[in-house]
Amino acid sequence: MFSRMNHIAYMSRAVRPLSDEELQELLAQCRRDNARNNVTGILFYSHGNIAQLIEGDPAIIRPLFEKIALDGRHSNVVKLTDKPIESRSFPDWSMAFHPIDPEGFSTLTGFFLPHQMPATPDTLSIADALLVDLVRQAVFGANDAVTEPVSTDNQ
Amino acid sequence: MRDQELQRILRHMPAGIATLLGPELRYGFVNEAMQALLGGNTPEGQPLADASLPADLREVMQKVYDSGSPFVAKAYGLPLPASNDEPPTPRYFDIALEPLQDDADQVHGLLLFAVDVTGQEEARQRAHELALETRRLDARLRVLTETAPQITFTVDAAGKYEYVSPQWYYFTGQPPTADLDAIWPLLVHPEDRLRVLYQMEAARKAGIGWSHEYRLRRHDGQYRWLLSRAVPELHAPDQAAYWHGAVTEVHDQRELADALRRGEAELRFLADSIPQLIWTATAEGFIDYYNQHTAEYTGMAADELGPTGWVSLIHSSEQTSAARRWVQCVATGESFDGLFQMRRHDGQYRWHIIRARQLTDARGLRWFGACTDVDDQHRLREVLQHQYDELARTNRDLDTFVYTASHDLKQPLFNLRGLFDELRRTATFDDEEHEVLLRMVDGALGQLDVTLHDLAATVQEQRQLTAPTEAIDLRSVAEEVLLGLRVLVEDAEATVTLNFGAAPTLIYGRANLRSVLHNLLSNAIKYACPERPPRITITSGVTDTSQPWLKVQDNGLGMEVNKEADPIFQLFDRQHSHISGTGVGLYLVQRIVTSRGGHLDVASTVGEGTTFTVYWFS
Repeated sequence: MFSRMNHIAYMSRAVRPLSDEELQELLAQCRRDNARNNVTGILFYSHGNIAQLIEGDPAIIRPLFEKIALDGRHSNVVKLTDKPIESRSFPDWSMAFHPIDPEGFSTLTGFFLPHQMPATPDTLSIADALLVDLVRQAVFGANDAVTEPVSTDNQ
Repeated sequence: MRDQELQRILRHMPAGIATLLGPELRYGFVNEAMQALLGGNTPEGQPLADASLPADLREVMQKVYDSGSPFVAKAYGLPLPASNDEPPTPRYFDIALEPLQDDADQVHGLLLFAVDVTGQEEARQRAHELALETRRLDARLRVLTETAPQITFTVDAAGKYEYVSPQWYYFTGQPPTADLDAIWPLLVHPEDRLRVLYQMEAARKAGIGWSHEYRLRRHDGQYRWLLSRAVPELHAPDQAAYWHGAVTEVHDQRELADALRRGEAELRFLADSIPQLIWTATAEGFIDYYNQHTAEYTGMAADELGPTGWVSLIHSSEQTSAARRWVQCVATGESFDGLFQMRRHDGQYRWHIIRARQLTDARGLRWFGACTDVDDQHRLREVLQHQYDELARTNRDLDTFVYTASHDLKQPLFNLRGLFDELRRTATFDDEEHEVLLRMVDGALGQLDVTLHDLAATVQEQRQLTAPTEAIDLRSVAEEVLLGLRVLVEDAEATVTLNFGAAPTLIYGRANLRSVLHNLLSNAIKYACPERPPRITITSGVTDTSQPWLKVQDNGLGMEVNKEADPIFQLFDRQHSHISGTGVGLYLVQRIVTSRGGHLDVASTVGEGTTFTVYWFS
């Protein structure tokens, strides 16, 4: 499959705080719905700050973003980027947030605690990796965000 | 049969019916409903019981009986007797009292007809209470609308003003008798009038509200910006009957916003005119503005670069560290500062100083950055450095050459001197003037020796200029130097006074200090006045600004000092040609002192003496 591929990243604010169950459901929904359309990505959530990056065919992810932007659960949606990419960096849907009760989350597929998140993948260009790192920092704050430096072997 | 049927109907009617007969008002026919009303016990023929009805009603009944004219008691309250533990509840009845007349038109009884109107009565009372509440709310609304710092208005579907709050008259200075519909449009600023009238009419036609700004003339003749907002009041669907609205003065906000817009436009213009890469970023570190020059330099539009695209312009070997540094700066608020190579549209990398600082004000936190092209300076510096290195090397080579040459020439000179002495000892000359010639050759050989020695010394000093400094006792160095010059001092019968009490030590290069003292002292002795023995004083001290100095004063020949041209310190420049020397001395002193950050001062009077002052670090 050699179709075009873009990624879109945005940040937003939750209208009201999301509970553990809602976040879990959101992750499940992302995985379920987007598997059909071959859309992948990553979602960050902390204290009402939401950020998401989606990857896929622009013909699919652009309308998807329009739909997401109109979702009543969040507001102040700011699109940060929408540009072509060479390959996927988040082939398995994943999500990172601070659960109120971390117990039940350790076994959840695709879930990371913010400080356990793997380093930003080096399939991203340095500019895109910088974007993801800044987004991560904006959502989780400076302390929890970037524990790993951006990849160094991407020349 | 018919009568019986009628009686049954009457008995079961929901309204109360009874006949009371005779002046004593004895119970006649009483149906069920009335029986309940009268307390249940109504034996026919018995007079009306006192307790069965309130006294005022019984009195009125009596009067109706006496006068023979009917009466209707409207909404008369009768407490229904308690039953089944329920408390008596007030009920209301319209009670018609109709005199019953016999065939001779004589009143012989009363027909009592009671209809329960409790429902209506309660509704009426509620309506009354509501009316009272409405009046209260209305009063409150009026107070609110008339004290709020806004003009409120109601306009009907035709655009006529139904109501306008007193603030309008206060603002415009119009009399209360003013015709609103005629005057209001006239007070709107001529430039805004048509627009406002059109917008209002369009909104009214469409049955929607409006929100627009316009200028209205104030009582003092000044036009002020106002915001007019109105919403329709819908009676039937899609058919608005009235628009209610408020007019708020937004003049100051608008002026401020205009000023801000102007300021921002000016700043943007300024940023776009500067031949530097200027940008701003959000608190999160995403770049949201690149100036015109950025597009020209990079050949990429702002949206092509995107919020983090700048990093891809940096030379690939520096991208990672620049990105990491930026993330860190955004986290901590530290300024971003660095020298990076940035790619130009033609692929050439040019050196830039990238600098970004955070600004926090009432409008939040933002980053302001600039990339300054320092490529030319950078290259120039590299060229200069290269040339400097080359010069330094040449200089070293030259020093080595001079040193080697002077050293290598010493041996032939020594040989020459030996041969000459041998010649003088063994050979005989016929010439009368051979003595003079021999002396001249001897003198020339001596001078050549001194010159070679001085050249070697110059190179030596040159090398010692970079020698480390230490705290030196001036007296010990001076005495050491004097010891070396002992022969010269004794021959000249010179007196040397050392005066180091005020500043006994100096932090300097030892060899340099020795050389300075040696040259100044030997000069002072050399250029002594033949008529008097040399008297030399060496003094040390510190200036007002704690800078050390050293003074060498003599009573010698003195010289012409032309400070502007500074001629005496040139290499091989000699003032007194009759005295032997190579002229290297003062040049050396000058060189040592200036290269260590000081300067040499001279004061001299011909025939009286010279004073050299060394300011070590001025």
